[in-house]
Amino acid sequence: MTRRIVGTALMGLVIAAMIVAAWLVPGEQGVNLVSLILVWALFAIGFDLVFGVAGMMSFGHAALFGVGGYVATNLMVFHGLDFMSALAAAAVGGALLAFGLSVFAMRVSGLFFSLLTLALAQMIYVLASNRLRHWTGGLDGIAGVPRPALLGVDFYDNRNYYLFLVAVFVAGLALMALLRTSPFGRALRAIQANDVRAAQLGYNVNRLRQSAFIVSGAYAGVSGALLASLMFYISPQMLHWTTSGDVVIMAVLGGKGTLLGPVLGVALFELLKEELSQYTQYWYGLIGLVFILATIFLRHGIAGLFLGRGDEGKGGSS
Amino acid sequence: MSTIVIGLSLSFLLFLLAAGLTLVFGMLGVINFAHGALYMLGAYVGYQVALTSGSFWAALLVAPLVVAALGALMERSTLSQVYGRDHIYQVLLTFGLILVIDDATKLVWGMDYKQVPTPDLLAGPVELFGAMIPAYRLFIIGFGAAVSILLFLLLDRSKWGMMIRAASADPDMASTLGVDVARVRTGVFAFGAYLAAMGGVVAAPLVPVELGMGFSVIIDCFVVVVIGGLGSIRGAILASLLLGMTRAAGYTFATEWVELITFVILIATLMFRPQGLFSTKGRAA
Repeated sequence: MTRRIVGTALMGLVIAAMIVAAWLVPGEQGVNLVSLILVWALFAIGFDLVFGVAGMMSFGHAALFGVGGYVATNLMVFHGLDFMSALAAAAVGGALLAFGLSVFAMRVSGLFFSLLTLALAQMIYVLASNRLRHWTGGLDGIAGVPRPALLGVDFYDNRNYYLFLVAVFVAGLALMALLRTSPFGRALRAIQANDVRAAQLGYNVNRLRQSAFIVSGAYAGVSGALLASLMFYISPQMLHWTTSGDVVIMAVLGGKGTLLGPVLGVALFELLKEELSQYTQYWYGLIGLVFILATIFLRHGIAGLFLGRGDEGKGGSS
Repeated sequence: MSTIVIGLSLSFLLFLLAAGLTLVFGMLGVINFAHGALYMLGAYVGYQVALTSGSFWAALLVAPLVVAALGALMERSTLSQVYGRDHIYQVLLTFGLILVIDDATKLVWGMDYKQVPTPDLLAGPVELFGAMIPAYRLFIIGFGAAVSILLFLLLDRSKWGMMIRAASADPDMASTLGVDVARVRTGVFAFGAYLAAMGGVVAAPLVPVELGMGFSVIIDCFVVVVIGGLGSIRGAILASLLLGMTRAAGYTFATEWVELITFVILIATLMFRPQGLFSTKGRAA
């Protein structure tokens, strides 16, 4: 137990150090990299509520991420809505889509859930790239996604926007920490450990799983909107299956089922991407290789190293 | 008439792929996400062999064997390490394999797409019931039908089939009776890779051989196994037919909507028969 507390504190320190260090480095390079990490980390934290806590491997989270980005972009660019309202709308959009997907995907369980989420997300990708061109800009995407206008601060300056992202990230992390320790989070863990027993205890297993998926959809929606405004740009690439795959890789690398593990996973992924892509165009294959090795030899990801979980230990999902 | 032939040829192509997927699932309990990547690899290796030897038939013979050997290597080096664990880890590994296979293919063959010419013997059209049909489409139908019959015989009648079924029903008991379960698993994975690559070579003259080809196909395959009921070869045949024929009809009558038809069928199936059209078992995989 103490090992767990010390380990979690250490992980928190590493993350805090990363955030502060990026700010202290003069220029924009460090800030830009960590901005990207924070946005994806918010996505990964939300994803892990479904994947690591509730034990459902969704391969369709790109749909929630991309649609969140598109909802915010459309409202701001074409309807002149302000940033904060658009961000809230992205959360609602992500949650609503998650509800819609869950109606279909949750008619099956286990590996079939992974297949179905993947297929449904692919359907949305196909729709967005072809049918809904006027709404998504087709394969060209939409440029000029705005940033917030708050308190007279110029958020078009990347260093200022970084502070905004840190604030949103910390708020999202705190909320998730609360959720995971709440009776809701505990019930989800019970379901992952043994869903039949959880149902016998009186938990409404399907309703709880669906709720987790919806909360995760809201996180994905917000982070998608933040990414679009960070890049000033959005395209259906955000809805592509590789995006769903990336967040799975991040969560596994970092350590699924832990609060801070996925954040470290995102950091490692983005660092690898940043470094490897300078030397070779085959960085994605190399990340695949790292991912395979981590899956075999580092079952609990980076968090496992901090929390002292050996490979033989429990803590795997069921 | 040509709609029916195109539909049947699409169906049998899908079946070649879905059969391998279903077979590996039945044996390992794992959905092989990299199945589409192996299909793509088969098409590329087939392209290389056809280019070097000048013969499509050599490609059809050699490329699946090469990919099967690679498949065996992949299973030994990655999947076999994690059989004791939750199935999630095995699925994750097959996902990692996609990224590695894709980039390795890019490294060897580059980004541009390749074309494999239709073999001379089958290049021309054939007249059938008053319609001109490309001979190659007819070949796919005949070839696919032959492979599916062989597959039935192999699984249901041969000693190997019996070993495979025994090892998947109860690995411990099978190994007590002297079946080398680890070897059967490697063999089945390699055989699945063989079927995927064969599908890739057969499809190569019809479509451009390119990096994205594996993924678009794997989604259709997943839909086939979800509709047909995983683990059931019979279900895979019927679902492939359903999907292939609807697609062909779509190309003829509603070109605009063809890419969505697959998903509509999938959703309709889920709403009315979530356990799959031909499956008697539940969906607790």
